[in-house]
Amino acid sequence: MTILIIEDEARIAKRVERMTAAHFEGNAVIQICDSLKKGMDFLEKNSIDILLLDLNLNGKDGFEVLQSLTSRTFQTIVVSANTENAMRAFELGVLDFVPKPFDQERLSLALSRATATKKELSSSLRYLTVRKNGSVRLIELSQLIYIKGAGIYSELHLVDGSNTLHDKGLDALEQILPAGFERIHKSYLVQIKQTDQILISSGTKYALKLKNGEILPIGRSRYKAFRERIALQEQENHS
Amino acid sequence: MLLFILSVVLFCSCKRQVLYEEYDPVFKTGDDVAWAAKNLNETGWQQERGFTGRQVFWIRENTRLIANTGGALGLQVDAFGAYEIYWDGVKIGINGKPGSPTVDEIPGTEAMFFLIPDSLSNPGEHTVALRSTQFSYPKLQRGVGVKLDTYVNLIRRPLLISSLMFIMAGAFLVASLYYIFLYFNSHKKQYPVLIFSVICLLFFSLLVTEYLKFYIEIPYPKFFIRLEVIGWLTFSISLLVPLYFCIQFGIKRKYLLICLLFSVLLFIYIRNYGHYDLSAIYYSRTMWLTMLLIAIDAVYRKQKGSWLLMAGILASAGMNYYLLYDFGIFIFYTCIVLTMLYLHTVRMKKIEQEHSGSLLLSSRLQLELLKKNIQPHFIKNTLTSLIDWVEESPKKGTEFIQALANEFDIMNAISEQSLIPIRQEIALCQMHLKVMGFRKEISYEWEDSGIITSATIPPAIIHTLLENGITHNTPQDNGTIGFKLSFSQSDDFCRYTFETFGKNRELQTDRTGGNGFRYIKARLEESYPGCWQFSSAASAQGWTSTIKISNKLK
Repeated sequence: MTILIIEDEARIAKRVERMTAAHFEGNAVIQICDSLKKGMDFLEKNSIDILLLDLNLNGKDGFEVLQSLTSRTFQTIVVSANTENAMRAFELGVLDFVPKPFDQERLSLALSRATATKKELSSSLRYLTVRKNGSVRLIELSQLIYIKGAGIYSELHLVDGSNTLHDKGLDALEQILPAGFERIHKSYLVQIKQTDQILISSGTKYALKLKNGEILPIGRSRYKAFRERIALQEQENHS
Repeated sequence: MLLFILSVVLFCSCKRQVLYEEYDPVFKTGDDVAWAAKNLNETGWQQERGFTGRQVFWIRENTRLIANTGGALGLQVDAFGAYEIYWDGVKIGINGKPGSPTVDEIPGTEAMFFLIPDSLSNPGEHTVALRSTQFSYPKLQRGVGVKLDTYVNLIRRPLLISSLMFIMAGAFLVASLYYIFLYFNSHKKQYPVLIFSVICLLFFSLLVTEYLKFYIEIPYPKFFIRLEVIGWLTFSISLLVPLYFCIQFGIKRKYLLICLLFSVLLFIYIRNYGHYDLSAIYYSRTMWLTMLLIAIDAVYRKQKGSWLLMAGILASAGMNYYLLYDFGIFIFYTCIVLTMLYLHTVRMKKIEQEHSGSLLLSSRLQLELLKKNIQPHFIKNTLTSLIDWVEESPKKGTEFIQALANEFDIMNAISEQSLIPIRQEIALCQMHLKVMGFRKEISYEWEDSGIITSATIPPAIIHTLLENGITHNTPQDNGTIGFKLSFSQSDDFCRYTFETFGKNRELQTDRTGGNGFRYIKARLEESYPGCWQFSSAASAQGWTSTIKISNKLK
């Protein structure tokens, strides 16, 4: 586990470092940068798993930086004093927002989210941030049909028929995506609203037909859970 | 005012009731009652009075009455001296009492009105004869004027004119009083207000003096005192009005212009000494020209209200062209004063807005100062560090809390003031450094030099520079960041220099403490309007900011 802490206050940086080390019980490589600039330079050359970021989110600049960070492979956890901007940070795809002052328990909760495979149901993500040609594009979740794993990246398939690559892997995206998205296969994540029906063919092979006519495979191990989710969704729709 | 101008214009053009022709007067030194007769052979009578000294002389003037559609006929005589007056040989009145070589005359007034008997008021030739002495101004050959009209008109006309003029005079008196009170009662003494008040007062005096002649009997030897006074009043107005506009429109080299104007006016006074009306005309023309120059300059520089002034000047020139000088000059002045009054209200409005703006700004700055210590970035980061310190070392934690409490105390004490003792500001900075030392675990060093204890400074401006220094610098090679505040003073200004000794962080975009600098500038403007300079730039050892306050307004 490689972790970068961007925090300009020495005392707080050391606190975050100490608590992170305690959380991972020594199984983490932790790097501290005392300015955003240094942190960005570090990220240019190194790959990490988790970023713990102190970001002064006052003003436009903070959000621009955040967009470019959430479009990357790693998960971003914001550790900040400016709690009034937490919602917006979540919308842009941060994994968690730890308000200052914090204790071991709160930071550990955030860090465990980063390593958990089970996703959060209460996610308030609204956009996926996609890096393309040096700029960051915001893709609204409603524009997504499904996401296909593509090695360490994922491929976002959009309503308008186009697709685009996201730096995060399917697992990482699953962690931050809200309840309307379901993993149906190790390589596929769909937006339930976009599904049409489940197709069952011989040899207990399952497939999912989407509203746009595309057919995606359903993993055998995930079929049962997915059927329940669909049933639940339909119930919700009827009531 | 418009009504006034209109009535004057109407008044001037009202139809005459009495039509007559007059002939030039003739003079003869000597004394003979027969010279009053209607049909006298005037051979040997002269066109000029000559030097009569203390002798009696007669003046005869023939007129031809053409028509009288009004009431009883009256006669107005404008002449110097004391005289008995005869109409067609009949004595109809006296003005003063003519003297003799042995007895002094009782001087008459310059203008006098006489009622003519009905029996002698028929159309045709008539003769006015004056048995007169003029002991004062023996060398002055003043013309004699005779004017016929209905007696009522002769008496009423000056009344009408003076009543109208005095309405205007009253308006200027009130304006003058209002503005003088305004000047003395406003906390900011503004010279234009005082000048404006004086101009209104002068104008009031001019009007009163000008029309004094209609209701106060001035013996002819004192006739010129009034004219002299009018001359000087006109002189002063011609000087002050351009000065006012120079200040109003911020004309460059205004004092040079005013000195030049003064010289020209003085030249006119000396050159035309004794020609009062002529001097007054020249004064106002000079003033008009100067005003035109000022208006052109102001219009060129797009000053607010300059077009209005230009319009006023051109309008007055237009009216002057159509009207008698006596009325024209007052209309010219009225136009100018109206322009001034309007400009003044415009200016007052601006001042009012600035004032309420500054009040608003002051309370906003107060709020900003109070917010400094409760804004999340400061308080939450401080608390996070504090928790960490307490967890690690309760003793150190207590020290930290103490420092924080002290900083809050000072902040609280200064928050409602616009100027605080420099020592208090330094104490605030030192406390802040202590707090930041705990947070950042950097050793901060404070130094000050040349500080005068009595000096004051707007609150938290050095503190703001200090915050910027902490944010934008990393420690020097010896592991410290140093701060130094130095104060220097000269006759004209005092200067605060605040230096940060550290390595400047690489700047991201242009975030060079925009808010902080805005706070500093607003605070300086609040306490030292227009006489401060602030600069802040990277230097060899880190960062240097200078605040220079000139003593002009202090």
